[in-house]
Amino acid sequence: MKLSSIRPIALLLSRELIVTALLLLGVSFVVFIILYLSPGDPFSALLNGQMAADNASSAGMSVAWYAQYLSWLGNILRGDLGSSLRTGLPVLNEVIRVGINTLYLTIGSMSITLIIAVPIALFSARRGMNVYNWTFTMFAYVVSALPVFWLGYIVIYVFMHKFGLFPLAFGFSGTKLSWLYFLLPVFVLGVGNGTMSEVVRYLREEIGRVFSEEYIRTALAKGGSIWKHSFKEGFLIPITEIIASKIPFILGGAVVVEQVFNWPGMGRMAWQAAQDRDYPIIMGIAILSAIFVRLGSLLQRVVYIMVNPRASRE
Amino acid sequence: MKRYSQVSVEIGEFSNLPFWKKTDSMDLVYVGYGLVIVSLVVVSYILGAFNLLPHDPQEINIDLLMVSPGNSGYLLGTDFMGRDILSRLIVGIQAYFLPGLLAITIALVFGTFLGVLAGLCGERIDMVITYIANLVDSFPRLVLILLMVAAFKPDIYYIMIIVGITNVPVVAALVKSKINFLKQKNFIEAATALGLSNRVIILKHILWYNCRSVLIIQATLGMAEAILMETSLSYLGFGVQEPTPSWGNMVQAGANYFMQGKFWSSTAPALAILFTIMGFHLLGDGLNNIFERKRNK
Repeated sequence: MKLSSIRPIALLLSRELIVTALLLLGVSFVVFIILYLSPGDPFSALLNGQMAADNASSAGMSVAWYAQYLSWLGNILRGDLGSSLRTGLPVLNEVIRVGINTLYLTIGSMSITLIIAVPIALFSARRGMNVYNWTFTMFAYVVSALPVFWLGYIVIYVFMHKFGLFPLAFGFSGTKLSWLYFLLPVFVLGVGNGTMSEVVRYLREEIGRVFSEEYIRTALAKGGSIWKHSFKEGFLIPITEIIASKIPFILGGAVVVEQVFNWPGMGRMAWQAAQDRDYPIIMGIAILSAIFVRLGSLLQRVVYIMVNPRASRE
Repeated sequence: MKRYSQVSVEIGEFSNLPFWKKTDSMDLVYVGYGLVIVSLVVVSYILGAFNLLPHDPQEINIDLLMVSPGNSGYLLGTDFMGRDILSRLIVGIQAYFLPGLLAITIALVFGTFLGVLAGLCGERIDMVITYIANLVDSFPRLVLILLMVAAFKPDIYYIMIIVGITNVPVVAALVKSKINFLKQKNFIEAATALGLSNRVIILKHILWYNCRSVLIIQATLGMAEAILMETSLSYLGFGVQEPTPSWGNMVQAGANYFMQGKFWSSTAPALAILFTIMGFHLLGDGLNNIFERKRNK
């Protein structure tokens, strides 16, 4: 690659990075405003008593909100998100510890969704509507309306209770069977996260649109493969787009699924924290999940810019 | 014989095609199913509001705990406290019906406003609105709501306001892209040339004639979203609280009996959620397909 072709891409990428940083700043501001407006005094807990001491020293005068925001933001950037009100452990370590489990769950279930949805979409885009596709499409509709908690109960009942195929519950330590424990929640969230029908519809429409483009007709006339030529525009770009836009939904579904399966992840911790009104923990989780979402869409933009030569000319 | 049917497929006029090949009638099936569900929900809401129920939803009957469906005059059986599940299902609609309408109204009103602003008022405002949309999309909704729950302990109406606000960017983006599409058309220029005021052009020609289908579809999808949120939250214990029935907390209450083989008390509300959300999704998608095809003709 010559320098002249690299430069526009680098420029675009740095622009995307700046946008992501700005959005994360906005995220921190939204979280701050919510906590600032809430009744009670979450900030004396968040700032480890430091701000409370300042308050006391200024004889009951309250510190301006932007000063509070800046010192809070400074703490966050230094990696200090305060400590949990319930356990007293530092939030950052706690949230990262459970965040990794949620990351496994999210990535696993996203793959399950794609493994089911992509063949349906490709098949029905290529062959048009017939009885199989109609059945598959209806299946996708039913599945994406299923309440995920109930699906969880059915799966637990059938596989764990009735057949005893999977162990009921045990820890996450390096036991031999822990991947079995992993499998069921991943499957349940993958099927029941409510995005299946949208993924099918979006992919089908996009690849169907590309199939009717003229360059595909030319490729076919020359004896080329339709899949090969439509791969970039019809498959790679739409699939990264839909993955990036569905990450928040899957993280939301993870809250429920982790509750059903007792999965030691971020969602369960968020649930516990909301019960206990443990502000620092849920604040950390909100920020971390927003970082997940932003990284996902940053990745999507990178793929788009790399794949689409027109992007650098825009 | 085979050849004739092939010819008829090509011509597409003879109606001896199986019904799934004519997507038109498929869309009608979608919309029909959706309308049946919507009218069932509305009728049940009215029945619940006027208390026209087969049994008292709060009446505890110690002698008839966990009666299986169809026995002792209980069509869908009773739950773990001997309360009639059918009546509780009907009353459970009240948990999301008005809050859901509130969420839809907020999403549509503010979404349309911001969409028009972004579409007509130049690039700078468009950039700001895109930024806000991306910001709202950065949070998983359930996590944002849990943050609100931890901070304010809100009731279901406040939660639905948040659901509505998180749907604003979706509506705004759709209205904006519609307006960008319409800007290239002649009739807006013509309307301006005829001396119509901006208010008339925006409200009548852009929103009413060209955006109403988009808005109706968003309303049905928004209701599905609101039901999903309400049931998930009630299931988690943050939405509607016992003893007030909600489909979510009914599933949760029946869960303990699921492993004993007594499925119905959580399956009945779960199926109600399934069929209702599917109805709203199919209604939205069917209407979408019909409107799209009409425009392409």
